[in-house]
Amino acid sequence: MPSDRYGDVALEEKQRLFDEVKADSRYKTYLYGCYECGICVAACPSARFYDFSPRKITQTLAREDVELFYEQLNDDVWNCSQCFSCNRCPRQNSPGGLITIMREVAVKNGLRTTKEALAGYTRIIYKIMTTGTQVSPDMLQEDAFPDWGPQVKQVSENLDVWRRVLPPETLHTTGLSWQVEERTMHELYAIWKMTGTLDMIGELDEGLHDIMEEIMDDALEESGIVSE
Amino acid sequence: MAKADTVLIVGAGPAGLEAARTVSDLGKRAILVEAKAELGGTPYASYATLTPDLQETEHSMKHMLDAVQNNPAVDVRMNTRIVNSEGELGSFHVSLSRDGTETVEEVGAIVVATGFQHFDPGRETQMYGYYEYDDVITLVDAEKMFKEGKVVRPSTSQPPEKVAFIQCVGSRDRQIGNKYCSKVCCGIASKQSIEIKRMLPNSKVFIFYIDMRMYGFWEDQIYWKAQEEYKVNYIRGIVTEIIKKGDKLLVKGEDTTMGRPMEVLMDLVILSVGMEPSKGTIEMSRIFQIPREEHGFLQVVGGPLNTVSTPVPGIFVAGAAAGPKDIEDSVSMGAAAAAKAVGVLNRLTLQV
Repeated sequence: MPSDRYGDVALEEKQRLFDEVKADSRYKTYLYGCYECGICVAACPSARFYDFSPRKITQTLAREDVELFYEQLNDDVWNCSQCFSCNRCPRQNSPGGLITIMREVAVKNGLRTTKEALAGYTRIIYKIMTTGTQVSPDMLQEDAFPDWGPQVKQVSENLDVWRRVLPPETLHTTGLSWQVEERTMHELYAIWKMTGTLDMIGELDEGLHDIMEEIMDDALEESGIVSE
Repeated sequence: MAKADTVLIVGAGPAGLEAARTVSDLGKRAILVEAKAELGGTPYASYATLTPDLQETEHSMKHMLDAVQNNPAVDVRMNTRIVNSEGELGSFHVSLSRDGTETVEEVGAIVVATGFQHFDPGRETQMYGYYEYDDVITLVDAEKMFKEGKVVRPSTSQPPEKVAFIQCVGSRDRQIGNKYCSKVCCGIASKQSIEIKRMLPNSKVFIFYIDMRMYGFWEDQIYWKAQEEYKVNYIRGIVTEIIKKGDKLLVKGEDTTMGRPMEVLMDLVILSVGMEPSKGTIEMSRIFQIPREEHGFLQVVGGPLNTVSTPVPGIFVAGAAAGPKDIEDSVSMGAAAAAKAVGVLNRLTLQV
């Protein structure tokens, strides 16, 4: 039996979210049936470190256990590293793909637990969605990466110089992982907006959404790419 | 040499019917003895459809019944029992009894195809309450309803919302004394779960199992089909107890792969009862002096390489009298036993 952690959430609400997951066009090819062999867990790096099981996610969806689904939607899906090692499933399920769908539904619906799980990633989301690159060299500060050793401090002090030593010119950056073509960035903005990805962020963090929307709208207006 | 031209076949289920047809195809005479008033045996009498193809039993087996009924080489004796046997290979003198009248037939060889009986759930050592609760039934009880084209809770005559199958009832249980797997119940339960979902698409169907034994094509033909197309819930973990709660049944078990105890209210529980040697099989063991193997079924020699020869020369066994068998096994054994029976008779003729 599922825990009573989400006993205060109406079954209808849990069912609504479950139906939203099931209605995704990818669902049919991500879930056939599960005979609980455990190969996905055996292959899963996250399962070695967290109380996390791609098998249980798949089983729960296959059994259409709405209560347990809701629990996993809140507590489990962010423990997956989305490496898709689980795709070796002999029934041809994609537990990782099912988790992708569940994450999207969790984000779109602005679940409290999702906001909490992603709170620490605000800067990364901002970086990826506005620049197309994730971890930039200037993020490599000693206090943030103590496990990288004492040379991190040394490098960060003269970062600009170190970066200019690298042969490709596109890597002479500190605030970006590499130089991104303006055209590429604008196309990316258009994609975020047209696919509704930017709207998803709105459910999660309104402030972040508004900042990014402004940047994208201004850039797109300048580029004229939307009218093309 | 009339006697060496005749094979006695005891039991007219799938194995016996196929044995009689094969004997006649090979140019010998068959006497087919059936204790009941109907041909076809247990599947024909008790199952609305066959596993794994879900075809209607009467329709599917019609050609087998026709092959012996309208066959001058097959002498069908209904409502007839074997009461005694003397003699040996080439010349058995077998006493048949019908309505208190005994006759003696002289035959050259014998095929015993007296089958199995379903395990009596009153003997199970869990607490499922088959004789206590109306809504706890067996696979056979479910088939009776299917024959009428319905599935309802016996207590209310209303369709159930939640149905649970419990596997391995009477099988794989040292406490009961049946250490063997009955081989077909996983398939039958899966087949029935599909049929229930076809009749009641909004019902929830659960199958509580220890291992699913879905060998060969049954895997995707019924197991995957039930899971993927009919959303049948397979839960690894066997039910320890059923308790009546209001007008529902509380099923207690462990969901072992989810790692949690499980208590669910059900409207209908179907016990997947296994196979035991039928009374007729035990009786034939005594009359024909065929030893029983350690599980109580008729013994064969040669292990996996000779599935039909008993230790008694001239006597063969086919179907579930020799242990749990599905229909395809039974039919194959029926033909093999008939071929071997005709073979020994042919050798006798050559020796004369």
